[in-house]
Amino acid sequence: MLELDQLIHEARTRAAASESLAALDEVRVHYLGKKGVLTEQLKVLGSLPAMDRPAAGQRVNRAKQAITELLDARRHTLEEQALAEQLAADAVDVTLPGRGQEPGGMHPVTRILERVQALFTTLGFRVEVGPEIEDEFHNFDALNFKPAHPARAEMDTFYLKDRPLLLRTHTSPVQIRALLKYGAPLRVIAPGRTFRHDYDVTHTPMFHQVEGLLVDKGVSMAHLRGTLTDFLQRFFEKDDLKLRFRPSYFPFVEPGAEVDISCIFCDGSGCRVCKHAGWLEVLGCGLVHPNVLETCHVDTERYSGWAFGVGIERLGMLRYGINDIRMNYENDLRFLRQFR
Amino acid sequence: MKISTQWLHEFVNPSATAEEIAERLTLAGIEISSVSDALPPLDNVVTGEVLKVAHHPHADKLRICDVRVSAGKHLQIVCGAPNVRTGMKVAVVLPGSHLPDGTEIRVSQLRGVESQGMLCSARELGITHDHSGLLELPGDTAVGINLAQALGGADKVLEVEITSNRGDCLSVLGIARELGALFDLDLNLPPYAPVRPAIRDNLPVNLAAPEACPVFAGRIIRGLRTDAVTPLWMCERLRRAGLRCVHPVVDVTQYVMLELGQPMHAYDLKHLSGGIVVRMAKTGESLQLLDGNAHTLEPDMLVIADSKRPLGVGGIMGGTASSVQADTRDIFLEAAYFSPEAISDRERKLGVQTDAAYRFTRGVDPTGQTRALERATRLLLSFANGEPGPVNRIAGRKSAAAKLTLRQLKLRQLLGIKVPAGDVDRILSRLGFRTRKHGRTWEVRVPSHRFDIEREEDLVEEVGRVFGYDRIPAIAYPSTQRMLPLPEEQLPLARLRDILIARGYQEIITYSFVDGPLQQRLTGSPGIALANPITTDMTVMRCSLWPGLVQTLRYNLNRQQKRVRIFEYGMRFIAQHNEITQENILSGLITGSQYPVQWGLPQRAADLADLRSDIDALLVASGAVEHLEARVAPHPALHPGQSAKIRLNGVDLGWMGALHPKLLRELMLDQPVFVFELMLGPLLRAHLPKLAEISPFPSLSRDLAVVVDAGVEAATILGLVREAAGRQAIEVRIFDIYYGPGVDSGRKSVALSLILQDSSRTLTDEAADATVKRVVRQLQSKLGATIRD
Ligand SMILES: [Zn+2]
Repeated sequence: MLELDQLIHEARTRAAASESLAALDEVRVHYLGKKGVLTEQLKVLGSLPAMDRPAAGQRVNRAKQAITELLDARRHTLEEQALAEQLAADAVDVTLPGRGQEPGGMHPVTRILERVQALFTTLGFRVEVGPEIEDEFHNFDALNFKPAHPARAEMDTFYLKDRPLLLRTHTSPVQIRALLKYGAPLRVIAPGRTFRHDYDVTHTPMFHQVEGLLVDKGVSMAHLRGTLTDFLQRFFEKDDLKLRFRPSYFPFVEPGAEVDISCIFCDGSGCRVCKHAGWLEVLGCGLVHPNVLETCHVDTERYSGWAFGVGIERLGMLRYGINDIRMNYENDLRFLRQFR
Repeated sequence: MKISTQWLHEFVNPSATAEEIAERLTLAGIEISSVSDALPPLDNVVTGEVLKVAHHPHADKLRICDVRVSAGKHLQIVCGAPNVRTGMKVAVVLPGSHLPDGTEIRVSQLRGVESQGMLCSARELGITHDHSGLLELPGDTAVGINLAQALGGADKVLEVEITSNRGDCLSVLGIARELGALFDLDLNLPPYAPVRPAIRDNLPVNLAAPEACPVFAGRIIRGLRTDAVTPLWMCERLRRAGLRCVHPVVDVTQYVMLELGQPMHAYDLKHLSGGIVVRMAKTGESLQLLDGNAHTLEPDMLVIADSKRPLGVGGIMGGTASSVQADTRDIFLEAAYFSPEAISDRERKLGVQTDAAYRFTRGVDPTGQTRALERATRLLLSFANGEPGPVNRIAGRKSAAAKLTLRQLKLRQLLGIKVPAGDVDRILSRLGFRTRKHGRTWEVRVPSHRFDIEREEDLVEEVGRVFGYDRIPAIAYPSTQRMLPLPEEQLPLARLRDILIARGYQEIITYSFVDGPLQQRLTGSPGIALANPITTDMTVMRCSLWPGLVQTLRYNLNRQQKRVRIFEYGMRFIAQHNEITQENILSGLITGSQYPVQWGLPQRAADLADLRSDIDALLVASGAVEHLEARVAPHPALHPGQSAKIRLNGVDLGWMGALHPKLLRELMLDQPVFVFELMLGPLLRAHLPKLAEISPFPSLSRDLAVVVDAGVEAATILGLVREAAGRQAIEVRIFDIYYGPGVDSGRKSVALSLILQDSSRTLTDEAADATVKRVVRQLQSKLGATIRD
């Protein structure tokens, strides 16, 4: 049966020469199709003597199997090649920039406000807001600003024309509103816009503050120091940040203090930013003045409290290096994009 | 206030450097903002005497001086100062040394004449800005000593910045008292013993405004030498405090004010007629004050007058007519106590600022007038002679010293630490409080110089600040028992903000006051005016956030930022009758290309539909987007064909639109600009999601195109389609709008895509087709629509 071996050899050569699946299919039909060479061979079996038929049949079947296998192998190779070509054709430049909208961003003042808010809400402080156009009562009288006291004039207040109203000079009026609304005990923070008649590198006529207030039983300066230490260390992400309390005067607190932090740029050894003092002024605070608590119907023998007010632009200056605070309100997109 | 440590040391002398003193004061609430040298380095500058003055042979304006600089040592110095004269005591810079500005002084030839040093003005020595002539030293100055020594020696000057409640610290005495408490030292007071009157002359005083001026004291001094010169040491102390020597009497009153904190005033006696009347000003009364200006007084201003006319405004400024002059021999010296309420704000009304008013507003010791008069008299007599009359002190009601109780328990409760009782006693008494201890409480009498002590808490601060705030530990206050409420039907603002940010918007923050005309143009409303705006373009409170957005847009367009997408939220202010509504608004603006320049996406300008999609996105957060509608409505700032009122559940929510082309021209903007403004309150109201069943049955999709009149609004078509399709229509979208060939002019073709589904069974093709037929019939009958194949 040399012919069959010859046939297999010839099929192998032709399969190998097939460069496409279609060509390979032609080869398959030529050998294994209904009218294929091997099918013809099987038909010829009938003409053989009966005793020779089984052996011959076996040989033909083996040849058929051999050819099927070599065609399958070739098919597999061709499929792999086709896939590889497809993949090569589909390849893109993965370094191309993406397509679509490009996100904007938030304002640096909002960033700082949210950061302060986030820290205090973890301590159970609720966020309160108040009106920006205020009256004398909430902005001054209830906060223990006496009518003729220079502290009042020092506030550089904006007044409305022909109305007994003003633009709040601090967020402290929210202390009054919150105490009158909720009473003691209470813990709130009040972020918002504030206004003073002042304009230079370190002052804009509008700026932001966050007010903090805690009224409860037995609240002391030590508690104020505790919370502010925690806050400022967390805010600046510096667990070794030191605080310095300097006595100061705000009519609505007594005792009052201004808080300095050890300079975050030189760790207190002295540099240009801290004017070689090693300390940076960050906020004002104190125990809520008993006159303020009494105005809000809080029993000062049962309760005491602390309050603080921090300037957001000041924190932005220290945290992000925005040294000219007027930039905050020019809204130059090239400035704003840096805080996205 | 500037204060010399040397002067301070006469009152209290802690063994500490000026820097240490500054630090202790600062940490006790008396801020020392700087410590500086009172004198520049003057190592090779000595005192000398001009013995001879000769003309320079080759220069008209130069003189050749023979100057004695020590016993037997003379220098020839060429000098051009106009005031050089024989017998004058001067400052001599010796050859081989430097002026404070670095100039080296050598033996040199000046127009052919040798000069062996330099005679200097105060400015050349770096002492003051005076350059009118040589610094003249007093006639009794020793020759050949170091100039610094002649001027009182090396010294440091502290710049004191007090808080407005501590008027008592506006003097050497006040600061010394603080140091006494901080360093636990006694005070050494200069001699205040009465000067025995030499004459009986007295001016009657009528205290007609005892509320405004509770204490008025004065005395006559006659026969002052008109050639008296203020001693150098006194001038030098005034200079170190930032004041100039002007006249012996004035210098003494200034000196006493700095030393004791009591402002004083001197009148030339010959210009006074009758007695002194302390009264409120009469309407229309006017007066020329020492600032050189005529001022019209108001009835709430206090005047010191004689029987004929006002002499000065009490506690603020004297008048020129009665002021002391070079030829003044007889004076009336005044030391009064004016109440802060009578002074406050009058300075501003008069447009003047004085050290006296600054002190009276903050509180001057009402018991210190006689002491100041005696001190001033003694100083004045020491160099200007004169004969004093008796002190005439008139006082209205006397206010008793406040008596307070300080409980040890309260002290501990508020400070959070225990201050030993001995320390409390020591601190309070050093500050001038008189204390008596009863068990665990102190009875405390407040000294007359402390205007800020009214309650127990004030005493707690006094003890705390002197004991040291740095000794108070940091203790965490225990946390609350309950978590904060978290209403889920109230969206956090951050949610909306982040939606806009993700859609390419940059947050901005603009001023709450805006340009009046711009606001009028953008809103048709003038806004609430400020009484005292800071600039002429920030005069009114904003009633819309658009002025701020538009200004920001212009700012950035001018800086080559052509693609701008910005938003802001914040309050707007609207006046209705007597009420002012302050509401939070969210506003946005887009202009330029919708997407940043990029590959594979054709560039196109943003339009109203882009803006609308951003508004829709905001409403998705509150789950109310299907209740949103836009209605054509006119707005003064908007393009009439691209202007819509936004409504939510039938209630006005705000506006969106394109800025009117006329407005764009006025604002010099050359590209379309789209803006929106929405009330924040309703936007933040969300509803709690409740899961609806998800249909397990397959959906079918159907497209159809209808031709309708061009003016028919999309919202009308979508509404009719939804109504006809009923609950089966789970999605209805417009996917194309077409005008042009194949569609009659005045008509448009709208292509709709419907997704239909039934919640209880599989929707058949027949059922879907029936629904589409219902839709078509609805559109035909309501809109005269035709179907386009
Ligand atoms: Zn530093």
